[in-house]
Amino acid sequence: MRGHRSRLALVNAVPVTVFLLVLFVYPIIGVLSLSLKGDSGGFTLHWYADALSGVNLSVLLSTLRISAETAVLSLLVGFVLAHAIARMRPVFAALAMLIVVVPHFISALVRTYGWIIMLGDHGLINTLLTSLHVPGAPFPLLYNETGVVIGTTSVMLPYTVLVLQGVMRGVDGRLLAAAAGFGASRLTIFRRIYLPLVAPGIGTAGLLSFILCLGYYITPALMGGDKQTVVAALIDQQVMKQDQWNSAAAFGVILLLLTFAGLGVLGLAKLRRKKAAARRSSS
Amino acid sequence: MEANRIGRRTVLRTAGALAAATVVTGCGTLMGSSESRGSGGSKKRLVVSNSGGAYNDALTEAIYEPFAKETGITVTTVNYQSAQIIAQVKQGRPQVDLMDNTLLNFQKMARLECLEPVDHDRLKSVKDAGIAEHNLPEYAVGKNVWASVMAYRTDSLKRAPKSWADFWNTHSFSGPRSLQSAEADLPELEFALLADGVPLDKLYPLDVDRAFASMSRIRGDVKKFWNTGALPAVLLGRKEVVATSLWGGRADELIKQGQPVAYQWNGARRMTNGWGIPKGADNTDAAYQLIDFSLRPEVQAAFAKLSPTGGPVVPAATKLLPVDVLATLPTSPQNLKIGFDADAAWWDKNRDAVTKRWQEWADA
Repeated sequence: MRGHRSRLALVNAVPVTVFLLVLFVYPIIGVLSLSLKGDSGGFTLHWYADALSGVNLSVLLSTLRISAETAVLSLLVGFVLAHAIARMRPVFAALAMLIVVVPHFISALVRTYGWIIMLGDHGLINTLLTSLHVPGAPFPLLYNETGVVIGTTSVMLPYTVLVLQGVMRGVDGRLLAAAAGFGASRLTIFRRIYLPLVAPGIGTAGLLSFILCLGYYITPALMGGDKQTVVAALIDQQVMKQDQWNSAAAFGVILLLLTFAGLGVLGLAKLRRKKAAARRSSS
Repeated sequence: MEANRIGRRTVLRTAGALAAATVVTGCGTLMGSSESRGSGGSKKRLVVSNSGGAYNDALTEAIYEPFAKETGITVTTVNYQSAQIIAQVKQGRPQVDLMDNTLLNFQKMARLECLEPVDHDRLKSVKDAGIAEHNLPEYAVGKNVWASVMAYRTDSLKRAPKSWADFWNTHSFSGPRSLQSAEADLPELEFALLADGVPLDKLYPLDVDRAFASMSRIRGDVKKFWNTGALPAVLLGRKEVVATSLWGGRADELIKQGQPVAYQWNGARRMTNGWGIPKGADNTDAAYQLIDFSLRPEVQAAFAKLSPTGGPVVPAATKLLPVDVLATLPTSPQNLKIGFDADAAWWDKNRDAVTKRWQEWADA
């Protein structure tokens, strides 16, 4: 009976496996082999050496930096937002989610021009600050790293809010009530009960926005300055303008490896939590 | 149930893998609708690539539709960039019969052996039409000329900047500026050299060191090196900059809205768009017919009226145009004198090196 079942499972998995092999594994192997092929054929690591030196390395590092900053900021903002939404009545929660998600139905290009109206020297925020005589205003909020991170954070926000809100809704309110009943302060409840319960969601949400940000292109290009060139923009340049597929492939593989590394970190953290939980329950 | 659950888990894993895949492949290039070629029997169709948008609209109205009416050959357009067609040619199957692109890109494609040579003698409209030599290279035919020009706010600047030297003069003409980044197209090294005192006819071969030194001088006043064609007009309209370079015509909308914006054609850099036939294309007769049609003076003039990128390559066409249209065209007799043609051969040879140097310069 069991043998029959597992055979059935294998049959069920065939379409998905074929799908993956054809549309995912095969192209990835193609990209990988492209990244290892020299100008005149033959094996070379030249493209990787090139990608990891000089200005290319600096672009790679700023991509990582921007992604990390975005992950942290979208976690912070997303946490506050998700926390508020999780405690709303369902109707209002749905409405609030709609407000978070709907801007993303607008094209990224149009949305970014909206940011110029908001953040420019003569934009909404700076006009307001200038008329209030805030010292230093107008502040440069665009065409620098601040601009990019504001833009990418707003793009990643729905993902972090959705993930965090799901986890927060799953938190058993009675645990918090019990802790309060035992005399724990609000800070202690938050730190020792609530935070550990939503921790897996924080990890997933942070990593998700980090990974998505690694390959993001339009917002950094439109809201950043010349120091905020990201890897995706470089890949686009190389393929579309320079006909340099090998180097672009090497960058693609590096991004993929970084993504896998991120997923690995998340997996390890999960494993450690499981082990710790097992130890607690056995002792 | 058991089997079911495994299936679901696999599906979830697939979703995760695909999300990872988009990181690699999803670097956000918008590709046009793909078109499958008609079967060999019907030759009454021509597949043409162009860069889409308003450019495609103007081409359709001024060239493709009248051409179809006259010859019965319908033109189907696709939005492929040269990189995509190069890849198709290397695979042995170009999916377009004729390309509309810059002569610079055709120079590159010819170097990569992706183009059929063009027999200019087959084109009636070329004969004795007085088309400039650089617009009739071996592998392509120039069709329309566009330009990178200066545009500025007449309210923010007390005097009109008359040249790139004025644009570079941040004392007399103060305020943030914008110039083109290498991400959008060729960096504007020529403007930097003109600002530094190089005469119009002595630009090429470009003195790259001198150009970057000149660029460094203005860099502190450049708020943003623009990387999409629409951005400079937005910056100008929002008062984020007082002057910028842009692709001719991009500020028309602002001027129409009554914004205090004007063009300065002095020192404009002209580029030519034209026709090229990808290697292996098998509909060349129809392609030659369309090329020939597009170079008739009246067709050239019709396109010029519809598109600011439509500077005619055929001088006779300018005689068919009213003064107000001529003023907006890079190849009007007046603007022809004060601008210059980008040297496609020089740029093709040096583009990659200049782009690399630009990236290093921007990062430093």
